[in-house]
Amino acid sequence: MQSSTQPFVPSPVKIRVSNLFFSYNGREVLRDTSLEFPEHAITAIVGPSGSGKSTFLMTLNRLWEELPQCAMGGRVEIMLNGIPQNIYAPDCGVEALRRRVGMVFQMPNPLPMSIFKNVAFPLQLAGEKDKNMIHRRVEETLRDVGLWDDVKDRLAGSALSLSGGQQQRMCMARAMILRPEILLLDEPASALDQKAAEAIEHLLVRWKQNCTILIVSHYLDQVKRIADSVVELHDGRLRNRQVSTSRVSL
Amino acid sequence: MNGASMGRLVERGIITFSWLAGAILFTVICAVTGYLCFRGLKTMSPALIFGSTDPMSALLLRQRVFDGLFPAMVGTLLLVLLSVGWAIPIGTAGGIYLAEYAGGGTKKIFNLLFDLLAGLPSIVIGLFGFSLTLFLNRHVSKELHPCLLMSSIALAFLILPYIVRTTQIALENLPVQNRLTGLAMGATRLQNLFHVLLPQALAGMVSGVLLAIGRCAEDTAVIMLTGVVASAGVPRSLLSHYEALPFYIFYISSQYADQQELATGYGAAILLLFICLFLFAVAFVIKKSLPCQVFSQR
Repeated sequence: MQSSTQPFVPSPVKIRVSNLFFSYNGREVLRDTSLEFPEHAITAIVGPSGSGKSTFLMTLNRLWEELPQCAMGGRVEIMLNGIPQNIYAPDCGVEALRRRVGMVFQMPNPLPMSIFKNVAFPLQLAGEKDKNMIHRRVEETLRDVGLWDDVKDRLAGSALSLSGGQQQRMCMARAMILRPEILLLDEPASALDQKAAEAIEHLLVRWKQNCTILIVSHYLDQVKRIADSVVELHDGRLRNRQVSTSRVSL
Repeated sequence: MNGASMGRLVERGIITFSWLAGAILFTVICAVTGYLCFRGLKTMSPALIFGSTDPMSALLLRQRVFDGLFPAMVGTLLLVLLSVGWAIPIGTAGGIYLAEYAGGGTKKIFNLLFDLLAGLPSIVIGLFGFSLTLFLNRHVSKELHPCLLMSSIALAFLILPYIVRTTQIALENLPVQNRLTGLAMGATRLQNLFHVLLPQALAGMVSGVLLAIGRCAEDTAVIMLTGVVASAGVPRSLLSHYEALPFYIFYISSQYADQQELATGYGAAILLLFICLFLFAVAFVIKKSLPCQVFSQR
């Protein structure tokens, strides 16, 4: 008898972490961690405060290399443009990697420049000169995060004048303007009210069609609402907590 | 007396002491400026600046001012601008290197060297400037002698540590997250420095320039050994001797012939204060307007 439901097809692996060790200032934060993250899915990373969740995210875009007294061992392989790449290989350009792996921080971090310039900044860093293309992409991305109507008349105004929720959505627009393949989010809604947090959750669920999302979150309700899978960081090791095709139950 | 009431007493003591310190500072500023105004205000007139020369002719450099402070004011202004002009690019680059690129050991050594340079008495810097002038005169060009150029170079050495240190501290004090923001978007370290870090550190860096301006305007020991003279007129080139207000004040206060001449010394001090206020105001406007320019770019 043929089953009425479609057979479960696991998503292809987007990120493969093998034997990851990480220490900060001599203190071991991650130890012998090996895990795979599926493509086009939202994976929530949970665990106690200070357990190394943010550090783990930074191993996926090599941002930890900018911090002093950090050391890492192991291998991180990411499927970029359909080709698996060891992101710590000498021939892997770190700037190019960070343009494919976007990141949003816990606190909104607008730069002291206009709203327009903030959102267009990654394109300008990448050397984009076509002003029409930049304008078009800024508008598209701001519409995508639902901020266009609020800011279209004051794009030249300071980004610091936006509310906390608006700033965080602007930062998400900034992270998405380069159309990254992976988006890392470090508790993006923790400083926001419920309405602003829900707006961000809706965005993430929409974005996973085109992007692989890893989100650090302390809010179990949020994890339940949006995550396709959950990994828990405990005692320096990451482990799958429970996985389902759409939502998780904790 | 229990611990809580003892704590309250200590807190009250600290608050009283803080108020007292503020009041002392305010009183000292009022006393110094008030005394200067009391002794020097009566000499404040166009004649103090231009003497018997027609002011317009003096301003257009058509006629030399012999009995006024105009040449000393121009000399001071040029000296400050030149010295700060040499020191800003070198000091800023040094501060950026220490904050962003220097490794542990190198950083420690350079920090120590800049602290030593900051602690050097200005007469030692003056002596260095004088020795440098002699060296250049002997080995590079006979044209080089104590002059405006050599004074400004020696003064630049004096103020270099202020600019290096304030640039370094302004960059190092930026929160780690600000530092990572640009890098996480794919910025190179240089892009991050120019587009993200320096615009945010600008206000702190301008504070160092303000300190440097004040230090340049008041210093007498360095310029005494490197080119200032009592009477030279408005300097015609960088290789000319020049006059400067702090030296004039020192010269008059040590060798005045009568009370009238001493009063012109107080007048010169007031003019020096006004020049400093003017330069501070310019630096302050730059400090306020630069971040606005960054904001307004689209």
